[in-house]
Amino acid sequence: MKSVQPSLENSRQSRAVIDDNRAARHIVRTAFTAVAVAVALLSSSLFAAESRTWTDTDGRTVEAEYLGYEGGGSNIMVKLKLADGKELKFPFSKLSKDDQVFVQSNVPKDASSIAAEIDRLVDAKLVEAAAEIRTQGSELFARTDLDAKQKEKDVEELQRQIAMTVPNPRSTDEQFVRRIYLDAAGRIPTYEEYMKFVDSSSRNKRAELIDELLDSEAYVMHLFNFYSDLLRIRSSVSMNANQLRGISYIDWVKDKIREDKPYDAMVREMLTATGKIWDNPATGYLITDLGMPLCNLSNTFTVFLGTEITCAQCHDHPFEEVYQMDFFKMAAFMGETEGRSREQSQGREALGRMNKLLVDGGKLREGQDRDNALGNIVGTYGYDVHDTDKNTVKLPHDYKYDDADPNASVDPAAYFGDIVDLEKYDTPREAFADWLTSKNNPRFTVNLVNRLWKRAFGLAQIEPVFNIPGHLDGQAQNYDLLKFLEDSMKELDYDVKGFMRAIYNSNAYQREATRLTPSLVQVDNGTYHFPGPILRRMTAEQMWDSLVALTIPDADGVRRRGWEDYKAVMDTDFDSIKTADDVLAFKERYYAVGGTDSGEMMGSTRIGGADMVRASELSLPQQPGHFLREFGQSDKLLIENQYDTGSAPQVMALLNGSITNKTLTDENSYLMKVAAGEGRGDRVEKIFVSILGRMPTSDESGKAKSAARAGREGEPPGYGDLIWALVNTREFMFIQ
Amino acid sequence: MITKAQLSQLDPLSRRQFVANAAKTALGVSVLPLFAGKAVAAQPGKAKHCIFLYMSGGMTHMDTFDPKPGAETQGKTGIAKTPVAGINLSEFMPKLAKGFNDIALIRSMTQKTGDHRGGSYVMHTSYNPRSTIRHPSMGPWAQRLLGKNEGMQLPDSVTIGAGGEHPGAGFFGPSMSPLPIGDPMKGVQNSRFAEGIEEKDFDKRLKLMSTFNETFTQKFKTDEVKAYSDFYDETLKLMKSEDLDVFDLEKEPDYKAKLERYGDNRFGQGVLLAKRLVANGVRHVEVTLGGWDMHNDLWSAIPERAGSLDMAIAALIEDLKAEGLFEETIICLASEFGRTPNINSNGGRDHHPRVFTTMLAGGGIVGGQVYGESDDKGIAVKENPCEAKDFNATIAYAMGLDLNEVVYAPSGRPFLVAGHKQDPKTKEITTEGQPIMQFFS
Repeated sequence: MKSVQPSLENSRQSRAVIDDNRAARHIVRTAFTAVAVAVALLSSSLFAAESRTWTDTDGRTVEAEYLGYEGGGSNIMVKLKLADGKELKFPFSKLSKDDQVFVQSNVPKDASSIAAEIDRLVDAKLVEAAAEIRTQGSELFARTDLDAKQKEKDVEELQRQIAMTVPNPRSTDEQFVRRIYLDAAGRIPTYEEYMKFVDSSSRNKRAELIDELLDSEAYVMHLFNFYSDLLRIRSSVSMNANQLRGISYIDWVKDKIREDKPYDAMVREMLTATGKIWDNPATGYLITDLGMPLCNLSNTFTVFLGTEITCAQCHDHPFEEVYQMDFFKMAAFMGETEGRSREQSQGREALGRMNKLLVDGGKLREGQDRDNALGNIVGTYGYDVHDTDKNTVKLPHDYKYDDADPNASVDPAAYFGDIVDLEKYDTPREAFADWLTSKNNPRFTVNLVNRLWKRAFGLAQIEPVFNIPGHLDGQAQNYDLLKFLEDSMKELDYDVKGFMRAIYNSNAYQREATRLTPSLVQVDNGTYHFPGPILRRMTAEQMWDSLVALTIPDADGVRRRGWEDYKAVMDTDFDSIKTADDVLAFKERYYAVGGTDSGEMMGSTRIGGADMVRASELSLPQQPGHFLREFGQSDKLLIENQYDTGSAPQVMALLNGSITNKTLTDENSYLMKVAAGEGRGDRVEKIFVSILGRMPTSDESGKAKSAARAGREGEPPGYGDLIWALVNTREFMFIQ
Repeated sequence: MITKAQLSQLDPLSRRQFVANAAKTALGVSVLPLFAGKAVAAQPGKAKHCIFLYMSGGMTHMDTFDPKPGAETQGKTGIAKTPVAGINLSEFMPKLAKGFNDIALIRSMTQKTGDHRGGSYVMHTSYNPRSTIRHPSMGPWAQRLLGKNEGMQLPDSVTIGAGGEHPGAGFFGPSMSPLPIGDPMKGVQNSRFAEGIEEKDFDKRLKLMSTFNETFTQKFKTDEVKAYSDFYDETLKLMKSEDLDVFDLEKEPDYKAKLERYGDNRFGQGVLLAKRLVANGVRHVEVTLGGWDMHNDLWSAIPERAGSLDMAIAALIEDLKAEGLFEETIICLASEFGRTPNINSNGGRDHHPRVFTTMLAGGGIVGGQVYGESDDKGIAVKENPCEAKDFNATIAYAMGLDLNEVVYAPSGRPFLVAGHKQDPKTKEITTEGQPIMQFFS
């Protein structure tokens, strides 16, 4: 790090030049955007989703609506919808010039067309990469300066890499159904769900299942886990405000997912929210980092822009062009925002009266004159996100560069992207929110598609995901693909569900998982080009939710909700509290908000001593030692602090823990009921399908049956050993 | 597995990525040669082990280690005289007062924050909490700087009764996380066969598992799949090894008689287990004693709370001495802050970070002395202020950790075991916390 420092000073001097270049780039980009917008407006207002006349190279015409296109290269087929509702595919090459221009200026919006384009770009890159590796190979053979051993090693590496340029075979229906359930719904399919899919003879059954899952509550639960890791959503929402509840924020995020609120609008809402968390739960985002505005800025950059600028909080960024001044100018956008109200908060006066009621009612211990817990609850009325007109952000006391003095005030300004005009806004943070979520922000959309791609394929196109470059050209290995994904997301108006629908419908996603691990060099350089998804261990939540689906019949039906209750409690009219019992009732209602992990909400979900409820509906995070934490659930204190690596406690939990030894084989467990119930297949088959999502081979079936027959000494024959063994296989915990 | 030589050829970004991806082990089943087998510490340190006793909730200093007889805010607490003239402990700590020559006190601890989480975090890590990084606690620091204890299946650090807020291994990742023990009488969670399962049943199940595993593991030869198979092998070895007996308190000779001396409660059991773990080679054990947040009715709670503390530490010192481990085990006692000298209207004391007391013993610490002083009323530091980072620097020094070894987080930020500062001119990064040298002589 030390050696980098001097060169930084040099680059500081050249900053003026860079600024000029940046301004020039900006002008060019703005001009270009203006043209693009004009074209888009023209085409969309006049034609898109409306019927138009199409002409082919022979001059024949047809009236049809444009649906998109599929295929690639010289085989692009344009999809048209005729007036009678029939759809037809027409070769792009046989369309008139005007029609070709029309198609090219209309980026596809429907899932199958986007999927087709993804496939075209993925396959093209694989071909290109294969050619490159072959060239490297012949160069390697020609070299004489390497010893034989080194050469052999290098050849081996190239062979490994070239194996990864061949697209993996298409997944079987068995592989697909398990994977899509895990990816879209966050859990393995039940026996019935598996059977329904495998037995379906619909030609479109994969697309149909994708649609079904994306509209399910399970999708909401699973995507919530993603947001919860990213945004560090906790049941106790803030490190610095212990008594504030996260439940309204949690409900709010789930609601936004359920209604498929455009992602950019959701982010904007979180950044600009005002009020109390039970009135406006979107304030939860800023409340999370209450009292730590500089950390909040770093986190905002990491989460929404894929950019790590924490270093610049204390000094110029050692590797990138981010100066400490940039950091503070960005921070100044939030400098007028406060999370605590300065005024005497609601309920303070009532508190004295309520304490007196408790004393007089004999509800406190001898000699006590106040109830601290009650005081803490009432104290939460003081948390109120609002804007002042005074910017509190100042440079640090040890600011050491010569462009400003220590402790100097700084004005908000963005160091990349759109130039911000504060005049147009009521508060600087509204300006910031617009700047951040702008379609012109070079990182906002790329960050989103990069992370979503990783969710589906197990690896991002740009790794690490917090390392999004300022411009993609020359940085992203598959520039065309990433650019296309970015454009598609914009065209889809940040419809995350629509985007995932496209990815899940692509052949690239539906291929078998890669059998080798991409090397670190491949990951770092972005030279794994996705012959298929990589093999992933289930996340802690996927494992847990799968076990829940094995144990209770309607895993997605048990939901925790508490926003309304929370709001009702906090809206209590203190004048209505007249007795000591009223005070106690108020406290009780407060503590009951959102239920508890072993409370009445669960009831029938307590099986074999464990609360079998999906992770998104339990307290966040779970205590250390819980199955979820053992398998890597994030502590939600840092962004994406989850992990999927192994440990001995994990293995012991599966070998000796109550889930595999008690819960799954409890007489009330869903798995046991399915195994004994009606439906095609014998018990062994049903158990295999339930746990691994596939039929046993005849050899496996034979061994399973004899194990079940043998049973344990003094016990009737049973399936406990089989269930235990299957959950302990690697096949169970990995996603093919 | 990537070798160290390969690693050094990667650019900084690759290295970050590697560290971020690498954490592949816990409970001492070492798969990471990277940090293992480092050379012995550069500085002399007698303490091979550390038993860290954490008083959660904010331990009242005036009613334990720093009484102010005669002060009007002393309340009902009397004193117990120590063999050192002029130094008294509270009446609730008679055993430690008697054995004062074994312990050293810091009566000038001071903190900036009065909230439990923040104070506890600083005490454990020497750094203020940030929402962009998690700093490691001392056990993982020792493992990172000294390397993992060789030839041990056991983890390097264990926490007993610590809550969910413990910073654990911080950015070192899950591979160095302390092994958490909830109930000291129950040992390591899930380490024994499930109820009703005997060894032959277990072996039968394993055989079945291997059968079903075959196709998949043949097909997918990824590092991750292999790593899991290794974890199964290592864990099975661990389960069958005698190492796990170390966690079984009932296997401690005369454990019932011992518990009578330590106190037959969670804390007493935890401290006895800590002694047993240390005696078997575990490097760092933290035991938590809660219930110190005495806002109300302090004097109805203090005799039992301070009493169990007094008993457990006295018994621990006695046993460590008897086993010849006292000189190589540093015992530390800390809390997030002290409590106000002012007694509130509920007969309790409130949070007081301005001054409080911590304790050290063993591991080369010369007992019978006090460092720093609080004022006559126990309100402020009178001389030699000592912060969490200095306290941790003292422990680190005793354990032979290099206070100036820079470790980079995956994000590239530099950190030291007891806090850091950077020279604005030379850019050199050095320790901020300073050990209390008068304790080592």
